[in-house]
Amino acid sequence: MKFSVPIFDVKNLNFRVGDQEILKDISFQIFNGEYVAIIGPNGGGKTTLVRMLLGLSKPTSAEIRIYGKKLSRFKEWSKIGYVPQRASHVDANFPATVEDIVEMGRVSKRAFFSTLSKEDKAIVHDAMLTMDVVDLKDKMIGTLSGGQRQRVMIARALASKPEILILDEPNTGVDMASQKRFYSLLSKLNKEENITIVFITHDVGVIADDIGRLFTINQKATICNNPKEALSCEEMSELYGIEAHLIHNHKHEH
Amino acid sequence: MIEMLSYDFMQRAFLAGIIIAILASVSGTFVVLRRYSMITETLAHSALVGVAVGLVAGYNPLWMAVVLALVAAWLIEYLRSYFSLYSDAVLSILLSGSLAVAVVIVSLGGAFNNSLFSYLFGSILSVSTEDIYTIVIFGTVSLALLLLFSKELFFIAYDEEVAQTSGVKVKLLNFLLVSVVAIIIALSIRVVGSLLIGALMVIPTVAALQYRVGFLPTVLTSLSFAIASVILGMSLSFYFSLPSGATIVLCVITIFIASLVITKR
Repeated sequence: MKFSVPIFDVKNLNFRVGDQEILKDISFQIFNGEYVAIIGPNGGGKTTLVRMLLGLSKPTSAEIRIYGKKLSRFKEWSKIGYVPQRASHVDANFPATVEDIVEMGRVSKRAFFSTLSKEDKAIVHDAMLTMDVVDLKDKMIGTLSGGQRQRVMIARALASKPEILILDEPNTGVDMASQKRFYSLLSKLNKEENITIVFITHDVGVIADDIGRLFTINQKATICNNPKEALSCEEMSELYGIEAHLIHNHKHEH
Repeated sequence: MIEMLSYDFMQRAFLAGIIIAILASVSGTFVVLRRYSMITETLAHSALVGVAVGLVAGYNPLWMAVVLALVAAWLIEYLRSYFSLYSDAVLSILLSGSLAVAVVIVSLGGAFNNSLFSYLFGSILSVSTEDIYTIVIFGTVSLALLLLFSKELFFIAYDEEVAQTSGVKVKLLNFLLVSVVAIIIALSIRVVGSLLIGALMVIPTVAALQYRVGFLPTVLTSLSFAIASVILGMSLSFYFSLPSGATIVLCVITIFIASLVITKR
């Protein structure tokens, strides 16, 4: 029963700040095994929406359910791996090796002991292997490049063995070659490990081939079930405004 | 060294000092990484209110310091999470407020004397056996709590929101951290003094951070810097009749400067 209870079930989400409507009447569901991209112009409310799904910000009104449970009652947070937008911007002096960071993924899983079990260590190693950061494990996080950090952050999220991975603009500041490798890795996680992926980006050109559904967020949500068509659809460029144009140019260059 | 340790009061001072060094540096690592450094100053001044109440009303000043520092820590957390106040402003208000209250209480009670002075700047002569018991009991509980939750606290220090969305009880652990820090600060004012304890909490960690090593090595480096400063500072204090707190702080600052120079080369 792959598509039974939705992982996220959002009904009538509204968010206002003073008179300004940031998000209006947003309803959608995300199911197990999906690969969803949330796109929209900067300032359109993508990150705000995701923070609300995770209970980090409060909407003005909404009914949000995770795995069928009300957000306020949901406890199994380790099922969700979240990599926030600013994840790759770490303080250069933060005293953590790559391994220290990836081990954080096991923290909420273990009992009240300071040391991780052999099994935990094995899972941490596997996560580093998947994200190709094993060679970096003793390096300080502050000394890594943007692309390397991004992989470490995702390894940290994978170490908690999540069923769903939410990535907020993880491709910011990462070079094209690393990005391509990264996208194929996400597809692999989705197809082979059956990890549901929610990917937030303002740059949709690169991932269009792999994603299952596309949500565009610009105050309102538009859901396209066929992303390839969506890229050329009128509704979409209307929502996206001038940026739709830029994306098409961008795509031709590569 | 042998001569110095033949005095009972010096044995007590060293014992208290080393325990304080361990507590201050371990808790200080989390405080610095969470960018809470200023909280140490504020809590130290709140602890002083406890000392003032203790001196005037005739209760054990150290116990009263623990109580008042805890109250202040909880008040700070409450103000910070339920009102949108700037946290550094909250700390600043509570710091001056506490000092004002302490001064008024002491002046009304006529206790402006050497006893208060020793709590401001620390005095190795004044550590009693009862103080040692208080420091050992509260210190053991505080250290056990810190070690038990060290991975969670480290995760929160790294990224509070990601920790929260991973199921770490961030609010509870923030509350626990400030409580433990409050207790440790209150215990420390005997040896280092309330005006100088912030330094012993913050500087060893900042010095250790210069070496850019992983989490555990950073904690251990900070710990050894703190213990070295306490031993060196107390010895200098004994032989040259210097105030212990100030001497310890000067030692830790020297280590910090040396670390800066060594790691920049």
